[in-house]
This record gives sequence, C-alpha cells and structure tokens, in this order.
Amino acid sequence: MPQTLHEADLPAIARGFALLGSGGGGSPHVTELILRRSAKWPVTVYGVEEIDPSTPCIAVAYVGSTLLLEERLPDLEPFTPAIDAIERWLGQTSSAVCTLEGAGMNGLAALQLAAHRTVVDADCMGRALPDLDQISLLVDGLPGLVAATPTGAGGVALIHNARPEDVERVLRTATTCNGGWAGFALGGFRAGDLTDHAILGGLRRANTLGLALGEASQSSLRELAAKLDGELLGAGRVVDTRAELGAAEEVHSFELRTIEGDVLRLVARSEFIALQRNGVVVASSPTIIVALDAITRVALEVDEVGEGKDVILLALAAPTWWVSNPRRLERVRPSRWGIAGLEETG
Amino acid sequence: MTAGLSLEALLAHPDSGGLTLVTGTTRAWDTAAVEVNEQDLPELVTQALAVLVTPAPTASWQVDALLRRVRDRGFTGIALTGDPIGDGSRALAQRLGIVVLHVDHPTRLAQACWQLLEARNALTLATVRKVARSIEYQALDLGDLLRHVAANVGHGVALIDRDGVLQAAGQPIPTSILERVNFDHWLDVAESDAGFAASVPVESRTRHGLRIALYGRDAGVAHRNALATAAEVLMPMVAARLLVDEVESVSDVSRSSGLLGDFLESQGALDAEIEQRMLTRGWRTNGHHLGLRMVARGRVDPLELLRLVTSRLALLPVDSHATTRGAGITGWLTFAHAPTPGVLAERVRDLHDLHSSVLSTFPIATGVGSLSPGAQGLATTLGEARDAARLAADRARAGWFVPIDSLGLEQLLLSWTSSDTFAPAAQSLLAPLSGTERETLATYLDQESSIVATAQQLGIHRNTVSARMQRIQTLLRADLTDPQTRLALQLACRVVR
Repeated sequence: MPQTLHEADLPAIARGFALLGSGGGGSPHVTELILRRSAKWPVTVYGVEEIDPSTPCIAVAYVGSTLLLEERLPDLEPFTPAIDAIERWLGQTSSAVCTLEGAGMNGLAALQLAAHRTVVDADCMGRALPDLDQISLLVDGLPGLVAATPTGAGGVALIHNARPEDVERVLRTATTCNGGWAGFALGGFRAGDLTDHAILGGLRRANTLGLALGEASQSSLRELAAKLDGELLGAGRVVDTRAELGAAEEVHSFELRTIEGDVLRLVARSEFIALQRNGVVVASSPTIIVALDAITRVALEVDEVGEGKDVILLALAAPTWWVSNPRRLERVRPSRWGIAGLEETG
Repeated sequence: MTAGLSLEALLAHPDSGGLTLVTGTTRAWDTAAVEVNEQDLPELVTQALAVLVTPAPTASWQVDALLRRVRDRGFTGIALTGDPIGDGSRALAQRLGIVVLHVDHPTRLAQACWQLLEARNALTLATVRKVARSIEYQALDLGDLLRHVAANVGHGVALIDRDGVLQAAGQPIPTSILERVNFDHWLDVAESDAGFAASVPVESRTRHGLRIALYGRDAGVAHRNALATAAEVLMPMVAARLLVDEVESVSDVSRSSGLLGDFLESQGALDAEIEQRMLTRGWRTNGHHLGLRMVARGRVDPLELLRLVTSRLALLPVDSHATTRGAGITGWLTFAHAPTPGVLAERVRDLHDLHSSVLSTFPIATGVGSLSPGAQGLATTLGEARDAARLAADRARAGWFVPIDSLGLEQLLLSWTSSDTFAPAAQSLLAPLSGTERETLATYLDQESSIVATAQQLGIHRNTVSARMQRIQTLLRADLTDPQTRLALQLACRVVR
C-alpha cells in the first residue's frame, strides 16, 4: 500500500535519515527546508512492487561537498540539467524517480521531483556512502546505465555504460567543475530492476527510526538502542582526535573514554567507518554507526564530533543487500579505502 | 625457572637496547617471546613478555588491537619499537593490565632477556669479558683503570675502605649500600633499596682493609652473580695496579729528589739542563717561593711522609711541590706574584696546621723559609727552611715548628744559640770565668777586641783590661785572634748573660 507523506512527517523522516547517514551524507535539514517550499503536500510514495516494473526510472542525489552545498544553496530544480541530458540520450522520459542515497540530505531528494514523477521507496545505498562506484546498480553491473552531472555554466557531463570506477572518476571531476557539488542523476534502468539491485523501503525505515528516536528522548541508553532496533556500542567523552596519517588518506579517529574506563576509538572518513572498544573492533562499515549527542540525542555528523563532547554510540544493522554477497561487501568494508585492521572481529 | 625476568632487571640491564617503560608497574615474567611479527607469537602463554621486532603500527586502532590480541594470548608485557604509542593506547594498556615497554633495538632487548632468563652464566661471562677488555686500554693510574672498567662494564666501580670511598668511577655507590658492606667476608654482597654492591678485598703492601666494589641497581639473581664474579676477576687487576702505582711513585720521588739535590748544589745558578728538567716536572723558578723542610726526629719512612704531605699540600690554594731529601722532605710553595703579608701569614699558618696534622702520625720537625723571588730565591728559602728545621728539631716548646720569616737575623742567632743543646755547652765553656771576667770578655768582644774601648766602657784602666784578658785566655785555653773562637765565645756570652 502506497505511503502518504504529510508535511508534518518531515521532521521524523529527516531525523531517521540523519541516523542512516552514519555521520555523513549531509544534513537532511537542508532538503527538508527545500521540500517545505517546493513540494505539493501530501506526497504519495510507492513501493517497488506497487508500480509497473517496466516503468523507466531515474535516481537522483546531491553529490560532492555537503558543506559547500550549505554555502551555495541549490535552486528548486537542481537535478533538471542531468535528468534532461539522460532523457535526451535515452530518447525517453523517466516517469519514476528514487533517491540514489537513502541517508542524510539525499534521503529526501527524490521527493523534490514528486510533482511530475512517481516516487519509489528505494535507493542505491541504504546508508550514506562517499563514492559513486558504491551505487548498488553499478556494483551489480547493470548494463545500459547512463549517469550525468552538470559541469557548471550550462554544461553537462554524461557517461554511458561505464565501469563503476570510471563513473566515480569522471563525474567526480565534473562535480568539482560545477563548484564542489552537483545534482547527479542516474538513468537507463527500470523500476523492476530496483527489486534485486537496490535497497528497498528506506523512507519507511527512516520514518520509523525518526519516530522512535523522538519517543526515546528520555529513555535509558539500553531502551534507546532497543527502540531503534540497534546495538549500544558505548557512551563516553571524546578526549582526543587525531589524523591517522599512517593509515590511509583522510582518515581520522576520535578517542573516547567511557565512565567505566573503556577506551573507544571511533574511526572516520566522511562517515564513521568503525568503532573499536578496548582494542576490539565492535562495529565497522557497512554497519551504520550512529553518534548521538548525549544531551540532545541528535545525530552528529563527523565534523560535529570534537574533544570534550559527550557522545552515545549506536550500531544500526547494515542493509542486507550489502552483506548478503561477498562481492558487494568488498565495496563497502574499510579495506575498500585501504584501511587495514578494522574488519569486525568481536 | 619462576619469574626470572623482572621489569626492574630489564630496565637495569646495561644493554637492553634503549628500553623505556611506557606504562605499567612492577612485573615479572617467566618467559619472553621474541618474534618479528605479532602473528608469530605463541597462541597461549602465561606470565610472558612479548618482544616484537617489527615497528608498531601507526594507526591508533591498530595499536589498540595489537595490545588487545597480545593480552588475549596471555602476555602480560609487550616491548614495542617504532613510534611511541598514544595516550589512548596507554590508557587501554592500563585497563588491560599489560605492561608496555618501548625499545629502540629489539634484538638487543631479546639478548638481554635471554641472558637474564636462560643464560645467567652468559651474563656473567659477558660481564667478566667486559672487565677483561678493560685491560686492553692503557691506564695511566688506578683512577684511569677504574674509569675504563666502569665504562666497559656499565656499572659503578669503587675502591673502598671502612672510612668510605677512596677512588671511584661511573655511577656512585649510594651511602646506604656502603654502610652495609661487610669487611670481614671474602665476597660480600651488600644490599639496600638503592641496589647492591658486590665487593672483594684488595691486597696492598701499604694500605689495609681495601675492597673493590661493583654497584648494580637491580638485585636480581643473575645480576648479582655476574657482578660478584666480575668483582673477583677485577680484584687482581686493581691490586697489581696499586703495586705498579706505588713503584712508580717511589721511582718518581727518587728522580725528583735527585733533581732537587742538583738544584741545591748549583746554589740557584741554573744551568740549562737542570732548568729544563725542573720545567718538565712543573717546578717553576720564576715567581716567589716559600721553602719548607720537614725532618724526622725518629724513624720515619720519607716516602710515607711525602705521600701524606703531598696530599695535604694539594689542598692549599697555591702551587706546591715536595720531594724527599735525606731523612726528611723538602718542599716549597710558589706564588706567581708576590703575596700580600696577610696572605703570606695565612699560608704560613696553613703550613703550621699541616705540620700539626702530620705530627700526629710522624715524629717530625718543620722549618719554613722566608719568601724569596726567582731561582736564587728558591735556593735561599730552601736553605733557610733547612736551617729553621734544624732549629725546630731542638724546639719542643715551639711545637717542633720554626718559621724563619718571623725572626730577624739576630733573633735567629739568638734562638739558635739559646737552643736546647747550645745553652749547656755555653755554660760549660764559660764555667772557668768569674762574673767580672765574663762581663769583661763580653764587652771586649762587643767592642771589636779593642782594649781602650773596653776600658772606657767598663770605666776601668786599660792595663786592668789587658791583664784580665790575658788571664781569661789562659783560663779558657782559647786564642782570641782566631775569628771562629771569637764568634763562639761571643755567642756563649750572649746565651749565658
């Protein structure tokens, strides 16, 4: 049965997507603000099984720097240049739309197109991930995919049937040309492809998580974890942050001390990648690691964690799509970025 | 073997490869596992120390994970090389209860562990070999030898007697240990909180109750055994060195004594050869000199006396030299510039103190010359000192000490003539004369043997004087035309008057 989303549902969904961001993916608050102005409420969202599988579909997302995006805010139609290019290339319009990344600010991105397209509750990541070659459709090697990104001043870069790594390389460059972020679109697949090659029900999960978090503002840590259907990893104060220069690029870690004296080490790139407790890895990507501010219980992004902050750390289950297959799993484990020693052991 | 490897023993080991304690406290291990990589460590151990040769990982979580895995295998200590670990890892190590050490050279640490655990004799052998190696280096004297040993063995070494340390090199032995050394045992190991000292007696011809001691911080069995054996091996080296030093000092004294004789014979008129020899010895003739002569009033070994005096002279804030001469010693102080009277008086007082302190050991008499400049002056002041010493030998009342600069020439004569041997001689010499005759003789000699002047002086007729003098010469059986006789009689008159 299709979901009907009202404007009043937005805060809870945004909270949920922030949790699924695992410290990255940008703040859903920005897209929430855009939606409040642009969308025609209520919005209907369909499950994959509720629409014709042959419906041509398109997936959209903001890619690039979320910090820059908050500096240079998007207009109301950020995805139009990329979608137009793809539709022209394919010679057909895509009447269905889903989000590329079901987390952070992108969780709500597809709703921006709800006025002219059918919104499907599916996405290609199921959590926040940093790279374009981690798009599920690309990971599974679907043929005929077309990806496009504006390059600034009216230009558009389009790449067809390319290897996942090349999509990342070429369109990352295009994104840089566009000024650090861009409205990315992926086409050339049908709604039916999402059944096996995408993560389903992200909006529903975000909504559930957001509501649960809202209800758990006063709960004990254990109750909180239970309500979110997650695992409590620990709670403590950040005592040190350090750039892990020897490990891999752009990796840094936060050292937390719990009240019991446990040493927690939260390792991050643009998302939280792993958590180690007393020398044992207790959670690592693709498991979603959530850092909540211990006082406000708001999900924190990586750059909001700093020395002196009291933090609650939770693990939410990774989308089964990633862990069901070793080849997929390879794409999202810490070793994918050349980081050694962070695979889950205990 | 139970807990043979203590943290303290490792830290105290002279070559543990730059080992430092990162976190943890007192700990002892039964075994040490040394491997290149962590995964090669044994799976399950108890009471073991892990030593990894490969540098520790750099990423913080990798260090944490390493500590955790090593602890989970049963290790209670780990020595890491490479970059120092961060605060978080340190806190984790404390939480896990594992001692973390940092080492610059893991293979050397491995060797140290092996020595302490498996091969105590190897440690002893290595230590003894280091002692033996010290012989390779030429030592100038005992102090030099001890320095070589201390540097080679890496432990403090000291020659001690019951009063304390005579000579030492390397880490000083804490007093708390010295107090506990037993001088009656052959091999003694004295212990306190500050460590231990292994010592054995050293035979010396001249000094008794000497021991050579090696000091170590950690009192582990292996270390104690090693140092005790090393002390035994070191003993004959030290004894031989003491003997060599004595022989050398005797021959050195005889050379310097000969040189002093040559100088005094030349009476200050230096020839180039003597001057060169004096310069080589550090005897400067320019400047101002104050002579010192110490003679024995009984049986005294001049060398022993010289040794004592030289050691005391060295404490004075002025250049000093001394050597044996005859049955005593001759020495002098050299001032680069003429000292003020105050300073000079102070130095003479110092010499008096020196005399008094030597007097408690040896029966001596001391004479001090007057301050004189140059080579000639050195000869002069030494001559004065010699005369003064001769005087002092008869002057029990002056404490056997006569400084000449306090006397005028007349007073010197007086003090000489009124000395304990001359006074009785003068009495007996003049005994045949009556009081009037003595007065006449004294006046006659004072008036340059003039009959007329004597008569005027005494207020009598010159024929009376002439007759009296004839009679006096007869009584004394003396020839007053002989200047020697005149002088002797004049002095005798002064003493008896």
